[in-house]
Amino acid sequence: MKLIKDGIAKLSFVALLVTVTAAMFYAPTASAHGEKSQAAFMRMRTIHWYDLNWSKDIVPVNDTMTVTGKFHVFAGWPETVAKPEISFLNIGIPGPVFIRAGSWIGGQLVPRSVTLELGETYEFKVLLKARRPGDWHVHSMMNVKDGGPIIGPGKWVTITGSMSQFTNPITTLTGQTIDLENWNLGNIYFWHAFWYAFGIAYIAYWARKPVFVPRLIACEAGKHDTLISAMDKKVGIGFMVATLAIVAVTMESTNAQYPITTPLQAGLLRGMKPIEMPARTVAVKVDSATYRVPGRAMQMTLTVTNNGDSSVRLGEFMTASVRFLDPAVHEDDTGYPDDLLAEEGLTVSDNSPLAPGQTRTMEVTASDAAWEVYRLADLIYDPDSRFAGLLFFTDEAGNRQMVTIDAPLIPSFI
Amino acid sequence: MSASQSAVRSRAEAVKVSRTFDWLIMFTLFFVILGGYHVHFMLVAGDWDFWSDWKDRRLWVTVLPIMGITFPAAVQAVLWWRYRIPFGATISVMGLLFGEWVNRYFNFWGWTYFPINFVFPSQLIPGAIVLDVVLLVSGSMQLTAVIGGLGFGLLFYPGNWPVMAPLHLPVEYNGMMMTLADLSGYHYVRTGMPEYIRMVEKGTLRTFGKDVAPVSAFFSGFVSIIVYFLWHFFGRWFGSTAFTKGS
Ligand SMILES: [Cu+2]
Repeated sequence: MKLIKDGIAKLSFVALLVTVTAAMFYAPTASAHGEKSQAAFMRMRTIHWYDLNWSKDIVPVNDTMTVTGKFHVFAGWPETVAKPEISFLNIGIPGPVFIRAGSWIGGQLVPRSVTLELGETYEFKVLLKARRPGDWHVHSMMNVKDGGPIIGPGKWVTITGSMSQFTNPITTLTGQTIDLENWNLGNIYFWHAFWYAFGIAYIAYWARKPVFVPRLIACEAGKHDTLISAMDKKVGIGFMVATLAIVAVTMESTNAQYPITTPLQAGLLRGMKPIEMPARTVAVKVDSATYRVPGRAMQMTLTVTNNGDSSVRLGEFMTASVRFLDPAVHEDDTGYPDDLLAEEGLTVSDNSPLAPGQTRTMEVTASDAAWEVYRLADLIYDPDSRFAGLLFFTDEAGNRQMVTIDAPLIPSFI
Repeated sequence: MSASQSAVRSRAEAVKVSRTFDWLIMFTLFFVILGGYHVHFMLVAGDWDFWSDWKDRRLWVTVLPIMGITFPAAVQAVLWWRYRIPFGATISVMGLLFGEWVNRYFNFWGWTYFPINFVFPSQLIPGAIVLDVVLLVSGSMQLTAVIGGLGFGLLFYPGNWPVMAPLHLPVEYNGMMMTLADLSGYHYVRTGMPEYIRMVEKGTLRTFGKDVAPVSAFFSGFVSIIVYFLWHFFGRWFGSTAFTKGS
């Protein structure tokens, strides 16, 4: 007897472990720091995020902030990644620490997936409402179906206050104002508790007498039929009739209480409006490009032609959200994340103003530890050793013009 | 009476020991079913059960009863044919729901802070009780599969409607119409789950106009019948005792 008891106790323990494991099996991902582990070519040749602005560094609970900017969908999109025909403008935060109060591409609300065109540039905005206090890394993010998440730069934002103060009031089309944070909660708990109690009552009826041992003995002896009495059947039918009646009645009363309900909304949004970019007046040809592994520097030989009517200088090279600036031409005043900003990372052999109509070949070097830190140097291990990025030229009036480049890259190991 | 014949000395003692067995077995059974059923359900019904913005009139109504009737059918097969115990389906579903609630409360809410009104589990108990009572009254596996299985599928949507209806109120949000459930899905950011993964309102049942839920429920009921048979035999096989010959 003791042995059996021990055996069952052991089994119960195993069962408990199985349960705990099973229950712990799934928790929605809370991490948003995949940016460095993503293949370098994915970050360089898919979506380029620029002109980004995080409206606040510190946000109290219930206050809002925006992440705004532009993204360029690269024309030289890699073969190995699915085209952005079904894409979703997401936001890279660790779970619902903010709620996404709104998100727009080219002024159109995008709660659902959209189609993006290669070679186009779009304006976007994400409105966030602070919910859970803490320091959070907030990334721009685009999910591409069969292509995976394409994560933009992240900036630390602090939420202050207390989550218990958070409210999310919504007015429905039926005229009610509710708090989506806890709406319907009592109803959910009530019905789940109710049916659970109902189930316990049903099992309790059968468990009021010894269950397993006598029943097994009777069944082994072939006396199955003696185990279910007429009374048992009546009680069972009672439970079933009650179940059907409760379901029918509550269905009716629910419909009476909520006469207007609509189905879930889904479907792809098309026709996103890209930005009308001014005609490019600067033409760039990449003559050669080398990545020097020991120097953590990329050297490019560019032939630049100015077809515009104002002289220009090269102020910035940006790739995979890392910005290399020539401080003599352009300084960042937008509060761009430090780790992604090489303020003096760009050196140009001759960066004197390039007059209209002129062509010049220049040696450009983009060097910074970010090549290593952000694992962009891993580019040399990619199956298609190419690099891509955006060059920004600044004219006399201070206007910036964006030019994309896309060329093979030769690594240099010495 | 020799000691080798019985470990107990009186009828009262036998009843007492038998009761101890009952509680130990019930406890073990509950958690073993919970473990297996829960993992199974998360793998096959996962997102449709996790998020209120997946609980539509087509796929949720169809998928959940079909995937839900599996363990109840198998446990019924063991408990009814070996013990004549008519609560196999109910105890299975209650085990599943217990596990789901632990998961949703501690993981989804406690760990990741998704509101419970967005991540509560679906209700399966009404269908399970009907499944058990049909077996109790008919004593027939075929009738339980056909009537009980159909009932399990049909009762799913109305059994859940009282908690779902308030989430289907329409809202105008920045110029678009959505339900409150859609809005929860939009507001409470799932970084790892882009919107296009959501499989809702897809299917070919368009000819029935807006009354798609009953059609989906019937379809689900029919498939549940087949799945019931299949899992019933799994249960029979699992619950059989085979003796091997000693040398
Ligand atoms: Cu991050």
